[in-house]
Amino acid sequence: MKTAANGLWPLRFKLNGKRVSKNVKPTQTLLDCLRLEFGLTGTKGACLEGECGSCYVLVDGRPMNSCMMLAPQVQGREVMTIEGLAHGKNLDVIQQKFIECGAVQCGYCTPGLIVAAKALLAANPHPSRAEFLVGMEGNICRCTGYNKILRACELAADQMGLTK
Amino acid sequence: MFYQPKSIGEALDLKAELKERAVFIAGGTDLVVLMNRGGRVTENLIDLTHVPELRAIDRRNGAIELAGNVTYAQAAKLPAPCLALASLSVGGPGIRELGTIAGNLATASPAGDGSTALLALDTEVELTSVRGSRRLPLEKFFLSYRKTALAPDEMITKVMIPANYRSDWLKNGKRGAVNISVVAVAVALTQKKEVRIALASVAPTPMRCRKAEEAFGKGADARQAAEIVRSEIKPITDHRASADYKTHLAGVMVRRLLEHLK
Repeated sequence: MKTAANGLWPLRFKLNGKRVSKNVKPTQTLLDCLRLEFGLTGTKGACLEGECGSCYVLVDGRPMNSCMMLAPQVQGREVMTIEGLAHGKNLDVIQQKFIECGAVQCGYCTPGLIVAAKALLAANPHPSRAEFLVGMEGNICRCTGYNKILRACELAADQMGLTK
Repeated sequence: MFYQPKSIGEALDLKAELKERAVFIAGGTDLVVLMNRGGRVTENLIDLTHVPELRAIDRRNGAIELAGNVTYAQAAKLPAPCLALASLSVGGPGIRELGTIAGNLATASPAGDGSTALLALDTEVELTSVRGSRRLPLEKFFLSYRKTALAPDEMITKVMIPANYRSDWLKNGKRGAVNISVVAVAVALTQKKEVRIALASVAPTPMRCRKAEEAFGKGADARQAAEIVRSEIKPITDHRASADYKTHLAGVMVRRLLEHLK
């Protein structure tokens, strides 16, 4: 498969559970594609070099920095962004615990952190504190400090354990 | 033009046709960062993320064989301790899911964590083009600063690692994660009890310290071997640390690893 004659890439993939398609510039990052082409501005961009984690999305369930991926690389894959975590008006348990714990200040890093926590808890439902630190090490928060964030993640893990 | 081949054969045909006018892209952790900074990479990108055969990990003839697109996340689970630890020391979870071992080799950064661990493990790479395949010891693959033996039509199709080495890894950087090394060291012990010492960030490419290895093999202790390492490496002063500091640090790290490897 290659770029079409008009210079665009006929992108098709699954976005937050729905099949979508759009013709995009093949050198557009997945981050820009999500924000500009699909209007999903929950995923943030800051460093654009993988240092900060604010652009995390799940691709086939695994956490990835969308700022370092080109949109065509998710061809046929399944992408979940922060917008896809809630079920209707019911927030994901990780989102609920972030609110309860006040684990948000300016909020810029929050979508990336929640997506990272989602990936971690899907792979490992009962992480130790050390495993949490490794699972979240790619995400930077510059305002709250990390204690409330870790507390929110641990409470989310506890609650997920109870409801299973 | 952006190409997304579905097989190694298709990818090699494209590269044979386009040569220097195309670059392979997999994890994008170097190339897309460069593009984000406004750098122009090439007019053609050949995306390898949709070639399933490049994701395989096989055991064959006492070696672990990684196909070209095996990621750090995959390598972090391999029974090759220095490579697993080095892989886990790369970036954060998102980068480890994207970045590939072969990409780390092709970029040939002097700070390459994967490259350095693989050097200590006597790794060989398989380079393939439409002309055929050749095997090369990793030490011969790195030519100079960010220069490799890859021909313009070649791809790293396999990374072959002896499965039975004992090994260990230490990385020192400015913080605990998402961290480029000030100095990193991989040591390994072959089944014949020969030691291998490889360092990152102390020379234009990741390097083996042959003189220290030889001296250790002939009975030098860890402290003496570490002193030889200090004389073999050629670090530069940069924004991460001074050359003097890196030299001192490298010796300390090598000594600690060798003391624990016995």
